[in-house]
Amino acid sequence: MAKGKIIKTQTTDGKPIEYVDQIIGSGGMKDVYFSPDRSYVVAFFRDKQDFQAKERLEMIAGRFRENIYNNIGGEYWKNLYCWPTHVVEHDNKIGIVAPTYQKQFFFEFGSKNNDFLGIKEKEKEGKWFASASNQNRFLDPRERGNWQNYLRIGILLSRAVRRLHAAGLAHSDLSYKNVLVNPVTGAACIIDIDGLVVPGKYPPDVVGTPDFIAPEVIMTSHLKKDDPNRKLPSINTDRHALAVLIYMYLLYRHPLRGDKVHDMEPQKDEILSMGEKSLFVEHPTDTSNRIRIANVKPAELPWKDTSKISYTITGPYLTPLFQRAFIDGLLDPSKRPTADEWEVALVKTIDLLQPCQNTSCDQKWYVFDNSIKPKCPFCGTTYKGKLPVLNLYSSRKEGQFRPENHRLMVYTNQSLWEWHTNRNVVPNERLSDKQKKREGYFVLHNNTWYLVNDRMNELMDVTDSNHKKIIPVGSKVELTDGKRILFSRQDGGRLAVVQLVESK
Amino acid sequence: MSERRLPVYLLLDTSGSMRGEPIQSVNVGLHSMVNALRQDPYALESVHLGLITFDIEAKEIFPLTPLEQIQLPEIKVPNSGPTFLGEALKLLAQRSDLEIIKSTPERKGDWRPLLFIMTDGSPSDLQTFRDMIPEIKKRNFGNIIACAAGPKARNEILKELTNNVVHLDTTDSATFSQFFKWVSESVSIGSSSAGVTEPTHLPPPPPEVQVVI
Repeated sequence: MAKGKIIKTQTTDGKPIEYVDQIIGSGGMKDVYFSPDRSYVVAFFRDKQDFQAKERLEMIAGRFRENIYNNIGGEYWKNLYCWPTHVVEHDNKIGIVAPTYQKQFFFEFGSKNNDFLGIKEKEKEGKWFASASNQNRFLDPRERGNWQNYLRIGILLSRAVRRLHAAGLAHSDLSYKNVLVNPVTGAACIIDIDGLVVPGKYPPDVVGTPDFIAPEVIMTSHLKKDDPNRKLPSINTDRHALAVLIYMYLLYRHPLRGDKVHDMEPQKDEILSMGEKSLFVEHPTDTSNRIRIANVKPAELPWKDTSKISYTITGPYLTPLFQRAFIDGLLDPSKRPTADEWEVALVKTIDLLQPCQNTSCDQKWYVFDNSIKPKCPFCGTTYKGKLPVLNLYSSRKEGQFRPENHRLMVYTNQSLWEWHTNRNVVPNERLSDKQKKREGYFVLHNNTWYLVNDRMNELMDVTDSNHKKIIPVGSKVELTDGKRILFSRQDGGRLAVVQLVESK
Repeated sequence: MSERRLPVYLLLDTSGSMRGEPIQSVNVGLHSMVNALRQDPYALESVHLGLITFDIEAKEIFPLTPLEQIQLPEIKVPNSGPTFLGEALKLLAQRSDLEIIKSTPERKGDWRPLLFIMTDGSPSDLQTFRDMIPEIKKRNFGNIIACAAGPKARNEILKELTNNVVHLDTTDSATFSQFFKWVSESVSIGSSSAGVTEPTHLPPPPPEVQVVI
């Protein structure tokens, strides 16, 4: 690569910066340059930005950035956003300075057959993963990760969006284009933050990415920008985009792209099927937009067969959210689930995962289907053996425990954390280091399942209320059907009731 | 359904004047264009590329083909010969009628196709060229971009077919490589933004290209 000249300039807040005068990439609106040490990038808008836009960018890189990063859990967000740090003006062009993407967001192996597409070291743009045909036909299996990691990606994205919304900000162009993911580790990072909608400021010029534009935006896009009926990107439209993202990462298909034809002209058909006439491909009663199996490529199966892999395989917490997003809230933005609701449901769904016993299963994990004969929906393998399920209860009043609709599946080396043992602890950016330590773990020994106590001082077997037994740190308790285990007597301390499934 | 296909036709001038460096550069440029598009996950799902060349005859080098299946042959140029662009348009009209999947009430068809034309001269079969213009317009291409390469290429004639004419001053390898890079970026943008209701813009042409207004 030819060496470019190094340009020295300074940011609008007076910090000196440098970049190599050679474009390393071009997006829809910006050209991107590396700093000489590649620790940050400078991205210049190709089009002239007006005063409003510059002011908006300065607020994003300044006040809003500080509010998020200088708060509780501030460090945590560094991994979740690629947030612009400064605004720069050079040669009559406005640009932003942003951190370089982490190494894990570039392909290590790339595509199949010794990377026949030549994508090694390219960015792991979300689209590679949210598509059955890209997954099945092109990606090297070592890049594909497993289903548990796609749930983790969903959690991180919901969390990142939740934090933006809490600050009153809307991303405005949430899509797999603006999200880097690493399914190998379950990491995700939101990029292109410069398009944020800032409260009280003129919205940015964002068209959006086709699969993710909310129906109301499409339906009103023919109106002038200042028409009061025109719907622009907002927190509500982000919620639509987030739901689509989560659906696509878990099911590798689009929730609205079925086979119903609305117009012979493709452009008009697109506008109708993503806007006014949009219809969930898995709508329970209106089946007119189902994906027809005859019209899909073999490489897209089984994912595009909604009768085989229904959205309900995502389990009891996510299923109602998908219904709200794509049925009740599709054309009624106020009914869409919030990012916070997605985060909570996804976290609970992780607890409901069990490993597939088929070692060559591509997805490796699936959500427990609440049956006495659990079966992996991806490869069809049924579970064999004893399967303990912990039903969590919590107490609002001394001695009175109520079910929480929260279960924890037990498998070898499954851990018990403080967010399981105490309802006041939530696994998110606020966790302290102490709370990140395991409280206990599960193990199968001589065909008996045990919970081993790592650090719960008050762990107690309360199955027989007349003979409560303390289970000291370092010892274990057998998991049998109907067993009641109290994790702690502290405020918020939970109780678990064991159910034992025996599948032969 | 599977993703709608985005058909992209490329019409390349292989008349005698393209001999030597120009055609070498076109071959290199085509290769890097296909490689670049294969690295784009949107293009991979939707773009189908068809290639037609024209000199004394118009030839379909390959019909609309998914990116990952394209095997580019080396494109050769006869010793001398005319530039039958009109014939190429005629062949394009026939082929696209056969190859493009139209929507039916039961099945979604292709996106509106894109057409890129590159020539270093002007049509030797001007009458056929002009006769074909209404035929091509009838076929409802999403965008037609004509590239006039080198000093002998005539912008005005291409303007009769489309408003999007770019002019390359030279026909050397650097210019062609920029041009094909630009085509692949345009196709990439087209494949990731197909369906967006506001018209999407072409990326800015490389510095060596002049857009004829």
